[in-house]
Amino acid sequence: MVLKIFFPQCCNTADSGLLVGRWIPGHNSAVVLAVIHYPFIPGQVKKYLSELQSQTQVDLTVLGSWSMPKEGQEGMDSFLKDLSTIFPQECWLQLSREIGKRGFTCQVVQNNGRLLQEQKNGDDKIVLIHYDQRKVMLSQLHPVQDVGQKSDVEASELGLVFQTVAQSQPLFLLDKYDDGPLKLSHWQSEGREASIIAELLKQASVPVCIFLTWLLSLWHWLCSFRILHLRPVLFISSKLSTCVQSGYRAVHFKTVFSPKKAATHMEFMRKANIFVSFLVDIALGLLLISWLYRENRISKLADTLVPVADVSMTHITSHLWKSLESRVAKELQELLEWLMGAPAGLKMNRALDQVLGRFFLYHIHLWISYIHLMSPFIERILWYVGLSGCLGLTFALSILSDIVALLTFHIYCFYVYGARLYCLKIYGLSSLWRLFRGKKWNVLRQRVDSCSYDLDQLFIGTLLFTILLFLLPTTALYYLVFTLLRLVMVLFQGVIHLSVDFINSLPLFAIGLRICRPYRLAEGVKFKVLCQEPGTPLHLMMEINPLKCSSVLQCYRTPTYSCYPKDSWAALCKKLFVGELIYPWKQKTAKTD
Amino acid sequence: MGADSGPGAPAAVPWRKVLYERQPFPDNYVDRRFLEELRRNIRVRQYRYWAVVRETGLIAQQVSCVAVFLTLWSCMEQGDLVPSAVLWVCLGCALLGYGLYEILGGACVRERTRLADLQSATIFLAFTFGFSPVLKTLTESVSTDTVYAMSAVMLLAHLVSFPYAQPSPPGSLSLNAALFASVCLASRLPGALHTFTMLSCALLVFALWPCLLHRMREKAEWSFPWAAVLVCLAGVGGLGSLWPEGALLLSLALLTLTLLCPLLLVHLQRHKDNIHGPWDEAEIREDLSRFLN
Repeated sequence: MVLKIFFPQCCNTADSGLLVGRWIPGHNSAVVLAVIHYPFIPGQVKKYLSELQSQTQVDLTVLGSWSMPKEGQEGMDSFLKDLSTIFPQECWLQLSREIGKRGFTCQVVQNNGRLLQEQKNGDDKIVLIHYDQRKVMLSQLHPVQDVGQKSDVEASELGLVFQTVAQSQPLFLLDKYDDGPLKLSHWQSEGREASIIAELLKQASVPVCIFLTWLLSLWHWLCSFRILHLRPVLFISSKLSTCVQSGYRAVHFKTVFSPKKAATHMEFMRKANIFVSFLVDIALGLLLISWLYRENRISKLADTLVPVADVSMTHITSHLWKSLESRVAKELQELLEWLMGAPAGLKMNRALDQVLGRFFLYHIHLWISYIHLMSPFIERILWYVGLSGCLGLTFALSILSDIVALLTFHIYCFYVYGARLYCLKIYGLSSLWRLFRGKKWNVLRQRVDSCSYDLDQLFIGTLLFTILLFLLPTTALYYLVFTLLRLVMVLFQGVIHLSVDFINSLPLFAIGLRICRPYRLAEGVKFKVLCQEPGTPLHLMMEINPLKCSSVLQCYRTPTYSCYPKDSWAALCKKLFVGELIYPWKQKTAKTD
Repeated sequence: MGADSGPGAPAAVPWRKVLYERQPFPDNYVDRRFLEELRRNIRVRQYRYWAVVRETGLIAQQVSCVAVFLTLWSCMEQGDLVPSAVLWVCLGCALLGYGLYEILGGACVRERTRLADLQSATIFLAFTFGFSPVLKTLTESVSTDTVYAMSAVMLLAHLVSFPYAQPSPPGSLSLNAALFASVCLASRLPGALHTFTMLSCALLVFALWPCLLHRMREKAEWSFPWAAVLVCLAGVGGLGSLWPEGALLLSLALLTLTLLCPLLLVHLQRHKDNIHGPWDEAEIREDLSRFLN
């Protein structure tokens, strides 16, 4: 069995003393955490260790002795050998280093007094692995295991090493300038690292968090009014993406601004990710506003859209509004005129064509009059709505999506009319086709059976079948046109939602951490041979392998209410063919409906 | 394996034709009684020529019905016939036919009341009259050739799927095909009244006439051939007034159908070679209606 000793790099030049660390259970290895220097009193050492043990839940013990001979300190070796009797161990390590030589020598004494020689040919070998203590302490090994799962899953040796170093943080609080009875050597022994700004922020964040949590509870109280829980209001608010987005953000704020400190690594990362992405969101939103409202860009855009420039109106929003609306309505009118003719030489039934065309034109006329009625109020509302970009880019995009949905509401209505008519027609045709052949649908057995119809049923059935069949091209064409328009709208909304979702779920903090401090997110380690001399054990340098970027994204992605396609392509095509109404994007909600 | 040719056939134990008992014979052994139960042509009927000719009258008259209908349509399209006159004639014919039907079926138990019949008639008339403006413009944008082709296919389907064995409740597919064809043709007529008239004629010719004919065959056997011949003559005559070559073709076809085909049928009977045996499906010969009451 190979004995692995993990030795911190900072202790390479430490003075002689006792090695303090932990034996890894189940694996033949030991982690050295610090070196306690002379002079020390063994009783105090034991007391200190037991205090730390209760504080950190890590079973710290004295592993052995470390000797780095300096001038005036000869005779230490024998002293060190006697120490093994004071601190009884199963295995006592004796590491020593000579000035001028790179490698250490290591002797392991077992409790029955037997000496293990490293040169012995056989199974017993010793490997010394050097590690950077600060990096290993701060790093988190992936895949992350929850603390509560310790008993279920067998932790790997590396996981245990990382865990030991991370949990022994109170050990590193004593530095070498302390006046206490013990003097330790570890990575922080030159003095504790702290920055004043970080400390001030930490102190200030607690009252700020409490205040924000109070604001949030106020918001929740407002939202819990009975009047807002009526069915129509709930329905509308579930359809408007702005409401969905704001609800989602409220949930996030609750997570971020809670005054409790994050217990596990994942919670901390989640909080940090949400906070950073929120800040970036607001920054992007402000950027968008500054770009939109500068240099009259909007009116320039409106001018290119409006066929006839309206010079009397100078307000940017009224330009945008009127031009878009009149353009959309005009396009629709032209389309309907084309349909009422003989589009593409198709065999349209003239009478039905005229009826349908006039019906839809009348709808457009109604819609335009409604818009004109509303237009004086819309200007102001739009101007203030445009300012909502300061709440974040996602908000601006959600509002854009909602505005587009409202503007094209009449297209949605037309689609519903066309689809219902077509669906009815297809249903009637299929049923009458069965009557034509003398069969009917057996609901009980879910199959087609033969049936003897009466004379009048046959007569009327055939008449209706003929009528429906010859009117099919007309209805199908209207349905096709409006479905295509609706699909374009759905696609556009889907693109907006996808980008909102992308901004919401991107773990910017984790990515930043991966780029700037790659050792904090560790996937594994790699070893480099430092020194391989005969007579000394093998020295390896352990370096942290950072997590791959794709794994970072996968692991730390914030879960969102992402929209994903509800139906597969085949099911969608079938629905389109039959005339069922399609709602292709389904939203994943946290609560099950 | 032939009979008695299998090896190891001891004469001590006779072979039984069962598979559930282990016998000293191999499984595919058969004895000399093999195929004893084979019967040939036990259900072959001996057709008599003139009886078959009588029966083919039904097919001939159905073809002629189609010809009559086409004649009517053609006359109405060219404007030779006034729709109101045709309508009155149709109504008269319908009442006449109904009366005849009632007289012939006097002893039978009526399965539909007079009221139900009146209801049906009202529904027909109302529906057809209501939908005739819609039906008139139905095939406006379809080209004439397509309309003619569709009607021809549908009438052919009607003739092919007609239930010649039991024409009294008209078969669904045949009636529907005929009505579809008549709607296609009727939509080519110049006015809504024409369309209405055409559809009423179609109903009369394709739906109601077979019922009356069947009743006549059942009750007054002697009248059936005369009715069939009358209809054939009307068909040929009507077609002849429009298209003399067509009349010639039709009469030729009818003669072939009525005279030549039965000859072929009777002549080819001697080539029949049906085998029957215990492997046939069981057929219930008795009339089981006595168990139902």
